[in-house]
Amino acid sequence: MSTPSVTASDRGFLGDGKYPGIFGWILSTDHKRIGLLYLYSTMTMFIIGVILGLLVRLELIAPGKTIVSADTYNALFTLHGVIMIFLFIIPGIPAAFGNLFLPIHLGARDVSFPRLNLFSWWLYLTGAILAVTSLFTGGGPPDTGWTFYVPFSVQTTTNVTLAVVAVFILGFSSILTGLNFIVTTHRLRAPGIGWGRLTLFVWTLYATAWVQVLATPILGITVALIFLERVLDVGLFDPARGGDPIMYQHLFWIYSHPAVYIMILPGMGVISEIIPVFARKHIFGYWAMALSGLAIAFAGSLVWAHHMFVSGMSDTAILVFSFLTFIVAIPSAIKVFNWVATLYKGSISLEPPLLYALSFIFLFSIGGLTGLILGAAATDIHVTDTDFVVGHFHYVMFGGTGMAFFGALHYWLPKVYGRMYDKRVATWAWGIIFVGFNLLYFSMMVLGLRGMPRRYYDYVPEFTNLNVLATVGSWILAFGLVVMFINLIRGMISGPDAGMNPWGGKTLEWTIPSPPPTENFAEIPVVTTGPYDYSDEVLAPEARR
Amino acid sequence: MTRRLSLLLLCGLLAFSGGAGAVPFSLPTDQVPPREVGVSEHLGSKIPLDLTFSDENGAPVRLGDLVTLPTVIVPIYYRCPNVCNFLQGALARALPQVRRTPGKDFQVISISFDETEGLADARQSRAIYYQAMQQKFPTGAWRFLTGELPAIRKLTDAAGYHFRREGNDFQHPVAIFVVSSDGTISRYLYGTSILPMDLTLALVEAAEGRVSPAIRKVVQFCFSYDPQNSKYVFNIFRVSATVILLTAGMLFAFLAWTGRKPREPESKP
Ligand code: HEM
Ligand SMILES: [Cu+2]
Repeated sequence: MSTPSVTASDRGFLGDGKYPGIFGWILSTDHKRIGLLYLYSTMTMFIIGVILGLLVRLELIAPGKTIVSADTYNALFTLHGVIMIFLFIIPGIPAAFGNLFLPIHLGARDVSFPRLNLFSWWLYLTGAILAVTSLFTGGGPPDTGWTFYVPFSVQTTTNVTLAVVAVFILGFSSILTGLNFIVTTHRLRAPGIGWGRLTLFVWTLYATAWVQVLATPILGITVALIFLERVLDVGLFDPARGGDPIMYQHLFWIYSHPAVYIMILPGMGVISEIIPVFARKHIFGYWAMALSGLAIAFAGSLVWAHHMFVSGMSDTAILVFSFLTFIVAIPSAIKVFNWVATLYKGSISLEPPLLYALSFIFLFSIGGLTGLILGAAATDIHVTDTDFVVGHFHYVMFGGTGMAFFGALHYWLPKVYGRMYDKRVATWAWGIIFVGFNLLYFSMMVLGLRGMPRRYYDYVPEFTNLNVLATVGSWILAFGLVVMFINLIRGMISGPDAGMNPWGGKTLEWTIPSPPPTENFAEIPVVTTGPYDYSDEVLAPEARR
Repeated sequence: MTRRLSLLLLCGLLAFSGGAGAVPFSLPTDQVPPREVGVSEHLGSKIPLDLTFSDENGAPVRLGDLVTLPTVIVPIYYRCPNVCNFLQGALARALPQVRRTPGKDFQVISISFDETEGLADARQSRAIYYQAMQQKFPTGAWRFLTGELPAIRKLTDAAGYHFRREGNDFQHPVAIFVVSSDGTISRYLYGTSILPMDLTLALVEAAEGRVSPAIRKVVQFCFSYDPQNSKYVFNIFRVSATVILLTAGMLFAFLAWTGRKPREPESKP
């Protein structure tokens, strides 16, 4: 491979913008700058969310009131949930890394609608600011839990209205991003990139985008109805006036069920990028991977359609749903199997991105299995309203999507900034995070099995030990996160030159300079091989640097 | 609903459903007109102990003579075709697992708010739920009362529990509450998914004389639900679903049809 020598001093798209200073960023239509804007904002939200989570955990270190009152506790975990779900996990990977790398993976110079793209970020920012503002204004922070269940959310005097408007705006932002990605994938592929040569990351973004475009409008409508209810007092959900409080739950799940796939699919895409590179092997079962992503999205849409066209919950409906959820388990299992098969007999190098990918597989599998327990045990042991559930979904979302996000940071930031972080420190940080994570959430699952209720600030004294363990785990986890972030930030500012292709990747982003130039490609590339073709590689470690 | 939702969400979603249970709405009393169905929590106030009800033997009992321990009060009507059964059934499942000694540390009192019910209804209910607990609960630790309308009203009003008669049935919230040995209301619990640990905790608080706002959950309601009522809303949704599907389908057809953008290599798309 002949590569023009590029140094970190060549600042690529990070150099001078169209406008001076900050305006060069917040008014930029360059997909990479927008991607970074998303990255900075989602990371900020993540940090706020973590701090709230730590406070929640701190309150639980001892029975009774420790640092906050019951009402404050409700507000804390509600805000923690809202921020993590709507401002971090859902937009995180697609909006930040999707924007950064989708056009490059397609060999394009930008997305199809760059201005719309910028507009989406502004919507995101507005929604985020409104959500956080609801903390400090009105009748106090929202305290309904992130699901905003009515009638509570219709009747509570706290500041739900603002939070609900925020979620509405965020929904729009994500529809627009979805549309943009769909059209870009269809129309801006470089010559030679047929559907069989898309990267798996692009496949998952594409599948996610369709789910977003289908499901998110319903969130908008639902949320608008709550808004009407609160402001105009229509009585849609009020049983005393012939409304139906259950209906709201139903409507919420019309969105939330598919939203779970929106949360996890892009994470799977990231893992599918990382694993072949660090195993030096073609991904095992390319089409199985691509299609299982689509299958997950399709099942998500079926669930959605079912919710929409069949009202109420008949026994048949329950059967259909259980069946669909099992169906979804199959493509997920296919993916895990293919990742492992890719690693098998690969020439594995345990670089930080791969470590995060491996912890994704491990933690996500635990999350999936405990999900099955939840389904099966629900009738015997009453775990549905306990800490078991909290532990379970942190394994899925944090252990899954969260780890994928960290993997993406370690995999792609050297490309984005042209500089490498300290890999030894990164490995240490990963280890600390892994230990803290399991200490925290495993303890919570055990607590749940013993009956510790969720969403409550107090408990009976016999649960103290495990709660202390979980809280200490949260501190270890937080410490690991701090080490990881500092290491990344230091690396990006003053690390050594990363070069064009530090990992020996085969996808298109590794064929252009780091940081990428503003227009990505001097000439639109003509692609002649698939994205994971390592057949030419004599499995020699020195082929990489 | 709770159990059902749980079932289908097993792949991780369930997670968020909050068990699909429920959230209370605790409003200052002045905001709830007295006859609207719902609960306005009256934490810290006392239930009137001088009221008289009939027990399962038809004998009159003064509430004050019964409430000498932390007590779980369960407002229901025995002939309820609906959620009241689930509520008492859930209690029957949870009670044997509560980590306090029944009859010594706490007791349970079901009280019918249907003044037309009597001895027979109470007895039948008692038989059913003791049977469900397979005698793992001491006799006398769960009482089943009936009463006259004025007494019922006084009790439920004092607890902020608002229900409404609809023919033979009732619209009413699904909630129970815990009072301490002097009759002070210390906690409300909502919905039909009752965790033994929630109950234990509530009883510990009642014994210590602490008063805590409810674990936030959606209030469920028991009422003769008529899907016709909310049909128009479902129609809004069906129409919008159709529009969304059509639009998405058209977008896909358009993109598949027109394919890749013909590009001039040098210009920025
Ligand atoms: C250091 C990191 C974190 C800590 C210490 C933490 C801690 C907690 C705790 C203790 C609860 C339970 C509150 C309760 O039920 O009483 C909770 C709830 C929750 N967490 Fe986290 N968490 C962390 C990260 C995350 C991440 C990354 C996500 C998202 C992917 C997340 C999403 C949620 C959600 C959705 C809830 C439910 C809120 C609700 O019940 O409405 N958390 N968290
Ligand atoms: Cu009933």
